[in-house]
Amino acid sequence: MTSAATALANQLNFEDLVREHERMVFSIAYHFLQNGAAAEEVSQDVFLALFRGLSKLESRAHVTFWLRRVTCHRSIDYARRNKNAAAEVSWDELPEQPPENNSAQRGDPMLSKRLRQVIATLPEKMRMIVILRYQEDAGLEEIAKALRIPLNTVKSTLHRAHAILREKIGAAIGEGNV
Amino acid sequence: MSDKLEQELKKALRRVEPPASFAERVLARAAEEEKPGAPLRPWPQWLGMGGLRWAAASALCAALATSGLVYHHERQKQGEEAKEQLMLALRITSSKLQIAAEGVQQMNSPEENQP
Repeated sequence: MTSAATALANQLNFEDLVREHERMVFSIAYHFLQNGAAAEEVSQDVFLALFRGLSKLESRAHVTFWLRRVTCHRSIDYARRNKNAAAEVSWDELPEQPPENNSAQRGDPMLSKRLRQVIATLPEKMRMIVILRYQEDAGLEEIAKALRIPLNTVKSTLHRAHAILREKIGAAIGEGNV
Repeated sequence: MSDKLEQELKKALRRVEPPASFAERVLARAAEEEKPGAPLRPWPQWLGMGGLRWAAASALCAALATSGLVYHHERQKQGEEAKEQLMLALRITSSKLQIAAEGVQQMNSPEENQP
């Protein structure tokens, strides 16, 4: 371990990191798996992995990148291991999102729920790309690095995801089918 | 891509709060790991889950290769045994034939046939 890494490890307090990033980590897993218990299991494992490897991380930005990447991969792994459970999420099984104080941010809860139901049916990588793009506001290059896929694949996959979403819920948001 | 769909996606996928006491549970698990008597993972940390899969695949390949070699060796051994048995049978047959030939020769010998 370099002296810079040692200094950073001393600076980084694990508890602070958990509190700073718990919403990001939990939300990625939650939106991907559509299951609170599964999302908590994955998120806890991600933070324990961070705890074990804290000394290897180089900067605060690296911690964020690392957490995002590991959460994506562990969520995908979890979904593959529990394929039957996560095959298709019915309307009733979809968890309600916690209420937001700002109703403008919340939007139409029924439409949001319908969107999340459609997102849950997308293929793994496509679903994760949509989540990183719209939950995390991540750039295309950032997504490519996190998922370790070519930039052009991210672009084309996102394009296809938009087409699917527009086809399935375009009418509900006042757009015609493409 | 329309702004409307993007806006709705952002609303549907906004970050959510983790369950109550999530951080406390994570910290408790981390504290458990730090205890001196904490159970050790059955594989080294550097191995990870990916490494573990590779190790399992390598072990399987090694087992298959070993069983292939053992099978080949067994077959070779069986072949050699069969060859030895065949040679023995040929030697026995050859000696019996020689005895019979000698018998026939004696019967045909004029001195011995004389009274």
